Amino acid sequence: MQKKVPQSSYSQSWWEVTWKNTLVTAAILAVVTLVAWVYNRISEGTVNIVMFYTVALIFIPRFTQGYVPGIVAAMISVGCVNYLFTYPYSRLDFTRQGYPVTFFCMLLIAVMVSAVTSYTKEQSRILAEQEKRLREAEKEKIRANLLRAISHDLRTPLTGIIGASSSYLENGELLSEEEKRKMVRHIGEDANWLLHMVENLLTVTRIQNDSAGVTKNMEAVEEVLLGAVGRIRKRIPDIRIDVRLPEEFVMLPMDAMLIEQVLVNLMENAWFHANSTKPILLYTQIGEKEVAFCVRDYGTGIAPNHLETIFDGEDRNGGGESDSHRGMGLGLSICKTIVMAHGGRILAHNCEQGAEICFYLPCQEQPASEAPERKRETAGD
Amino acid sequence: MASKGTVLMIEDEENIRDFIAASLRAQGYKPVGAKTAKEGMALAASLCPETILLDLGLPDMDGGEVIRNVRSWSQIPIIIISARGQEKEKVRALDLGADDYITKPFGIPELMARIRAAMRHGTIAAQTGACADVFCVGELRLDLGKRLLQIGKEEVHLTQVEYKIVAFLARNAGRVVTYDAIISHVWGPYMDDNNRILRVNMANIRRKIEKNPAEPRYIFTEIGVGYRMAQEEEPPGPAA
Repeated sequence: MQKKVPQSSYSQSWWEVTWKNTLVTAAILAVVTLVAWVYNRISEGTVNIVMFYTVALIFIPRFTQGYVPGIVAAMISVGCVNYLFTYPYSRLDFTRQGYPVTFFCMLLIAVMVSAVTSYTKEQSRILAEQEKRLREAEKEKIRANLLRAISHDLRTPLTGIIGASSSYLENGELLSEEEKRKMVRHIGEDANWLLHMVENLLTVTRIQNDSAGVTKNMEAVEEVLLGAVGRIRKRIPDIRIDVRLPEEFVMLPMDAMLIEQVLVNLMENAWFHANSTKPILLYTQIGEKEVAFCVRDYGTGIAPNHLETIFDGEDRNGGGESDSHRGMGLGLSICKTIVMAHGGRILAHNCEQGAEICFYLPCQEQPASEAPERKRETAGD
Repeated sequence: MASKGTVLMIEDEENIRDFIAASLRAQGYKPVGAKTAKEGMALAASLCPETILLDLGLPDMDGGEVIRNVRSWSQIPIIIISARGQEKEKVRALDLGADDYITKPFGIPELMARIRAAMRHGTIAAQTGACADVFCVGELRLDLGKRLLQIGKEEVHLTQVEYKIVAFLARNAGRVVTYDAIISHVWGPYMDDNNRILRVNMANIRRKIEKNPAEPRYIFTEIGVGYRMAQEEEPPGPAA
């Protein structure tokens, strides 16, 4: 433990650190001495002089590294107080009464503060690292869930397609015209579903590891809404959507294809899972710093124990095989991935009737990783 | 049965070629297939087809080269077939002189509508002047001679710029028009490619001409590419 000198963890050379420490210590002591001197000139008090130096001793470890500067500063402070501000002036007199107490207290303060600040600095560095690792782990988890969901979900429709086509080719003569039509229709449905999944997956490949991987352009919010509605209408012609365009004209930095995909997934999810005949409501709320895109349905709502994990790519009902619209978990987790890559957030909640999923995109270009980055800098230096 | 015209398909996937050919034949067109860009360009030159369907992802050559090659000697309508997510390639192809695009996978009715639109523009371009002075779709009536726009019986007042945009889209009805094409047509070639001003104008136009801007009937947005004005035969709404 003790061998872990703080310097070593801050990729700086020993000389650099020493040089910086000396400079900072000297500067703070000089300032305090000046202040103390002025104060001494004005008020003639000597008790508070010690307090000034104590303050300096608290500051020095904050801006330097290691214990040495604090201890050296404590010694210099005691010397200064003795030499400059106590009778006899301009002379060192170590015989004064109570001198060892002052000296000891200042030394103690210096050591304690050094210890505490080194500890907190190290701690915040560890925290920042942990935070980063957590974020990476979350990304990893989303990826793993995606892969699992995909391999599971691709097989089912493919089995259907292969089975139907081979039975059509082999037993064609035995099937009635209606049966044949039905088979081909099933093939079409399965293939459509596969296509939808693949498009979702393709959007994920557009997102690279971090938010810098998304190419953002300024896009008009209303056009993205219109695009998404147009696309879902093409896929599900009988879907009923009540679209409310924003009153004012807003443009946001985003990858329009990806945000369109999020809206399509959310609307599709609402349509197939809400079990309601009332139209889905699609609207936006324009705030100063972010714009909310909301998809509201008037159905059965989301099971409370799913609210937390709904975007994590886990299957809705365990096996999911019986679900005719399997893989919805996949769609929602992709929504989360996309929104996060835009530096936004996505939330699901139940309303009085039905559920609502909203996602928020920032109005200004700001990569998701920027804020923690800055925090770490101030904490570590 | 008289053929409605020859359609050349330049597409390397046999399955796709087959089903397009079958549907084209059923609709009375004469389909001709080409597997590679080279073969396609040779057939285009020798057959002079009425329309060319071009897949951008060909094995032997960039689709853009084919467009350039064909455009160097002919104005045959070219419809791009491309996958979703290739917006940049689409825009590039359109700017190179392609007439329209269709996104994979597409339904047969959609493809047929595009082919009809492309062929109509082909003939209009061939006999300039015969271009109708009045453009009608649904309740929208645009008199290009009088610079008058009506929805139903009501006259809609557009600003100069808005009118220019609507008229430009109307002249290209049924086809997608890229942002850049609109910007250079309306504001001239020296405008920087900040398309915010175009988006703002489109938002205003949408509010003026669409009864419900959330369910547009006349001007459709093709995200990342441009805008498309509806055409008479298309059913209302984007659910074509």
